[in-house]
Amino acid sequence: MSDPRTVDELLDSRLMAHLDRLDVVSKKIFAGKIHGERRSRRRGQSVEFADFRNYAHGDDLRFVDWNIYARLDRLFLKMFLEEEDLSLVIAVDASASMDFGTPNKMQYARRLAMALGYIGLVNNNRVSLFSFSDDRIERLTGLRGRRRTREMGQWLLQLQPRGEADFTAACRAIALGGQGRGVLLLISDFLFSDGFEKGLRSVAGRGFDVYALQLLAPDEIDPARHGLLGDLRLVDSESAAEVEVTASSAVVQQYRDRLDAHVASLREYCVRRSIAHQVVETSLQLETLLVDYLRRRGLLA
Amino acid sequence: MMVAPPPIIAVDWIAPVAGAVIAASTIPPLLALYFLRLRRSRRVVAATMHWRRAAEDVRANAPFQRLRLSLLLLLQLLALGLVALAIAQPQVDLGLAGAEKIALLIDRSGSMGAMDGAEATTRLDDAKRQAIDRIRALHGGGLFAGPAPSIMVIAFASEAIVLCPFTDSSAQAIAAIESIEATDELSAIGGGVELARSFAAIGGEDGAASTSVPAVLEVYSDGRIGDLAGLSLRDGERVIFHRIGGEDSPNVGIGAVAVTRLPESPGEVRVFVRVVSWRTSPTKTDLELRVDGRLVAVTPSPVDLGAATQDADTGALLPGQTQAVFPGVQVPAGAVVEVRVTADDLLAADNAARVVAPRLGGLKIALVGRGSFVLRSVIQGMSPASFETFTPEAWNARVAKDPLAPDAFDVVVLEQVTVQSMARGRYLMFGSAPVGTSIVPFGTKEQVVPRSIRSEHPLMQYVNLDDLFVASMTAVAPGSDSDVVVEASEGPMILTLSRGPLTLVYVPFDPIDTEWPFQRSFVNFTANALAWLAAGGLPAADEPLRPGDVAAGRLPAGAQSPRAQFSSGTTAPLSLLEGGRFTLGPLRRAGTATIAWQGGSQTGLSTSIAYAVNMDCQAEGRLDTALELQLATNSVAAQPSRAASQSVWQWLLLAAALVLLLEWWVWLRRT
Repeated sequence: MSDPRTVDELLDSRLMAHLDRLDVVSKKIFAGKIHGERRSRRRGQSVEFADFRNYAHGDDLRFVDWNIYARLDRLFLKMFLEEEDLSLVIAVDASASMDFGTPNKMQYARRLAMALGYIGLVNNNRVSLFSFSDDRIERLTGLRGRRRTREMGQWLLQLQPRGEADFTAACRAIALGGQGRGVLLLISDFLFSDGFEKGLRSVAGRGFDVYALQLLAPDEIDPARHGLLGDLRLVDSESAAEVEVTASSAVVQQYRDRLDAHVASLREYCVRRSIAHQVVETSLQLETLLVDYLRRRGLLA
Repeated sequence: MMVAPPPIIAVDWIAPVAGAVIAASTIPPLLALYFLRLRRSRRVVAATMHWRRAAEDVRANAPFQRLRLSLLLLLQLLALGLVALAIAQPQVDLGLAGAEKIALLIDRSGSMGAMDGAEATTRLDDAKRQAIDRIRALHGGGLFAGPAPSIMVIAFASEAIVLCPFTDSSAQAIAAIESIEATDELSAIGGGVELARSFAAIGGEDGAASTSVPAVLEVYSDGRIGDLAGLSLRDGERVIFHRIGGEDSPNVGIGAVAVTRLPESPGEVRVFVRVVSWRTSPTKTDLELRVDGRLVAVTPSPVDLGAATQDADTGALLPGQTQAVFPGVQVPAGAVVEVRVTADDLLAADNAARVVAPRLGGLKIALVGRGSFVLRSVIQGMSPASFETFTPEAWNARVAKDPLAPDAFDVVVLEQVTVQSMARGRYLMFGSAPVGTSIVPFGTKEQVVPRSIRSEHPLMQYVNLDDLFVASMTAVAPGSDSDVVVEASEGPMILTLSRGPLTLVYVPFDPIDTEWPFQRSFVNFTANALAWLAAGGLPAADEPLRPGDVAAGRLPAGAQSPRAQFSSGTTAPLSLLEGGRFTLGPLRRAGTATIAWQGGSQTGLSTSIAYAVNMDCQAEGRLDTALELQLATNSVAAQPSRAASQSVWQWLLLAAALVLLLEWWVWLRRT
C-alpha cells in the first residue's frame, strides 16, 4: 500500500461507490440542534406518529389529541418520531507510534478516517475531525455535505505523525469541544505510555456512541515472522527510549502475551463503559473492514 | 603369531600448549564481551513498553537467559575454537603423541628401484619424499610449536648406514634423506634396528642423556625385507610401516648367468641363463647376449615363462622360471658377457646379468718338493695352463737369480720343503713351517683332529673335515698377519698369511700321513686354495658379485695409475695397498666395474680387470608390496599413506573462515 498523496488516492472511486450505500448508525437517539433526516427514538416534533401518553401538567397543549379527548374524555398527548442530525467525530492518533508497520498504521488511519468521514458527509451528518500528536490537537469541525470531502481529505493528508501523544488530553478536548452528541470514532494503536483509561473515561458517558478502533500492524502482532529476532536494541518511536532485548523465541512469545493482555484489557475497559472496541490489523482490506466488520459491529448500516 | 592391532588414527598435536593458551585467552573474553556488550542491531518499534516487560519477565523467570543459545555466539565460538585448534596444529597420525625419538629407516634395496611411483619415480624417491614430508610435519610447528621429537635417519639394504644420528634439526635430517642413494642390494633391516636402538640408548648427537623410552621405528619400505623373521620388538618399542609401492609385480629378470669355455674350442663359451618371472600370468620375453656391450646374439624365439605360483607347503610365492642356453659364442678372456631380457617391466636393474669370461687356460702352477703322486694328480686334474716341478735347490737358485721369479706363477706349491726366500709370491705350503714369516713352529703334535672350522671362508667351500685325523702335525704359533681357518686343540691346522706381496696358505701337516687325500674334501680344498691364491687371496674376478660386495684383488707389480670405471659411466682413482692389493666398493649397483692400469710386469698382457655385479632377482625381484611386516613374534600392518602425518591446520583455518563468513551473513540478515 503506497503512501497516498492526493485525495483521490486516499479514497478511490470504487470504494466510494460502496460507501455511498452506507450510513453511520448511532445506537442512541440524540436531539440535534435542527430537524434532521435521522430518525431517533427520542420522541419529538416530526411528521411521523410514534405513540400516545397521558397528559401531564405543563405539556404543550398543541400536541393534545383532541379527537381522543372527545371520545374518551381523557387527555392524551400525541408523540412523534423526531428527526435529528448526527455528529460524527473522528479522532485520529497522529503520534509517532502510528508511523510504523507494513502496511503503515498512519496511512491506514488516514484512509479509514477518510472513508468514515465520507460516509458521514454524504449522509449530511456533521463531521468533525481531530488529530492528536506531540501535545498538539488539531481539528477540523463543522463539515457537512459531500462537497466538503476534498477539504476533509486534504486535512487528513497533511497530518504528520510525530512525537508522543497525550491521549487523555485529546479525549478531554473532544469531550469538551461542543461537537454535540453522536458517534465518536477513536482511531489509534492505543499504545500510550500513560495508559488509555483516563482518556476513554473522559469521553464515555458524554453522549457519544464511542468506537475504539485499535490499529495494529502485522509486525507488531507477530514480530518473529517479520524478522524481529536476535540481539536487538529496540528504539521507541515516540520517546526514543532504548531497550536491549535478546529476541529469543521465549521473549517474543512473552511479548505477544503482553500485547494480547494489553488488547484484552482495552477491550474489557471498553465493554465496561459501553465503548465498542475493534482490533484492526492493517493488512486487512479497508473495504472488508467497512462493509463487513463495522457493519457487524453496528457502526454502519 | 600374535597380530598387532590395526593402527588407530590418532591426532598428534604439534603445538598443543599454544592452542590451549589461545583458546583459554580468547573464548572467555568472547563470552564476557557477549554478555557485557552484545552487538545488537538497532530497530525502531512503535512502542517498547511490551518488549521491556517481556524481557523483564523472561529474565525474571530465567536468570541465565543470556546463556541461552544464540546463533551468532555459537558461530563465533565455533570460529574461535577452530582457530585455536589450527594453532595447536593437529596432525592425523599413528598415535605418536609424546614420541621423543623417531628413527626413520628407509629401504634402499634393489626392489625400491621399481618405477611405480606417483610421478614415474622410483619407490625410493617416494619413500624419501614421504619421509621428508613427515619430518616437515613433525617440525613444522613454527612459532607456536612445542618440542619436536628427535629424528634419526638410517638407510638400509644389505647393510644399514646411519646418515643422521638423533637430531632436533629438521634441515639436517632432510639433508640426510636427500643424500640417500639407490642400491641394488638385498634388503635387511636388522642392522638398522640395532643401530636405532643403540643410538637411542646413548642419547643424541649433543650427548644429552638418553631416556628410557625407546625410539619409534618408522620403516619406509615395500615390505620385502629378508630378515624380518629374525626381528622381534622389545618392550615398549613401536614400529610404523609406511608401505611404499604398488600391489602388482610385473617384473621379469635374469636369475643367474654362467659361462663355460668349450673344451673343444677354448675361444668360445657356452652361456647358461635362468630367467625369472614374478608376473601372475605367463609371459614371453626375448633374450639378448652382449659381449663387452656389443650385441652378438638374440634368442631365435621368445622364451616362455610361467606365472608365479604359490608354494603348496610354505605358502611362499615362487617365481616362474625357465632356462636358456647360448651355445658357442666367441668371447675373449676377461670380456664381460651380458644377458638381457627385452620385456618391459618396472624394475630395470634385474633385467640384465653379467659375467666375466674366464681365462682361456688354467693356472700357472709350480710344484716344489718331492712331487708326490697325490698332489701331482690333483693339480694336473685341474688342467692348469702350465705345471712345472722344481727341486728345492733349483727353486732356490731361480729365486736367487730373479727375486720376481715367483710372480711368473699363479701359485707355487711347496710340499714338505722349506725354501730360502718367501718374500713374495703366492704359496700353498704343506708340512714344514715357512721361514722368514711370522709363523713360529714350536714342536710336533700327534693325533690331531679339527675343532673349529670357518666354513664361510673361501678355502672351505665344499670342504668337509669331519673325518680328518692327523697323526702328526707341526705345532705353530700364528703371527699377527695370519688368519686361522681351521684350528685344533693343539694349534692351527690350516691358516693363511698375507704380508705385502706374500700370500700363503699353510697346512702344517703332510697329507700323505693322513687319509685326507682319499677324501673329496682334499681335492676341493686344493682347488679352492689354488683359485684363492691365484686371485691374490681374494675372490676370483670371474665370479659375479652381488650388490654390496667388495671387489678386491692384486694388480701386477709396477702397475701405475690404477682407476676404476663403472658401467654407469663414472670413473674414480683407485688407491693401491701394500703389494699391489686393492679393494673396490662396496659396489652398490648392478653393472660392471673395471679396474684399469698402466705398465706393470705383465707388459703386453691385459691391463684391466672387470667385475660383474648382478642383482639377486630371486630375492629382490618380487615387487608386490607386503601388507604387513611379519616380525618374529608379531606383525605390523601397513600404515595407510593418506593418514601418515597429515596436517589439518590449513583445513581448520579454512573452516574458521567459512564460519566467520556465515556469521557475517547471519549478522547482516539481522541488521
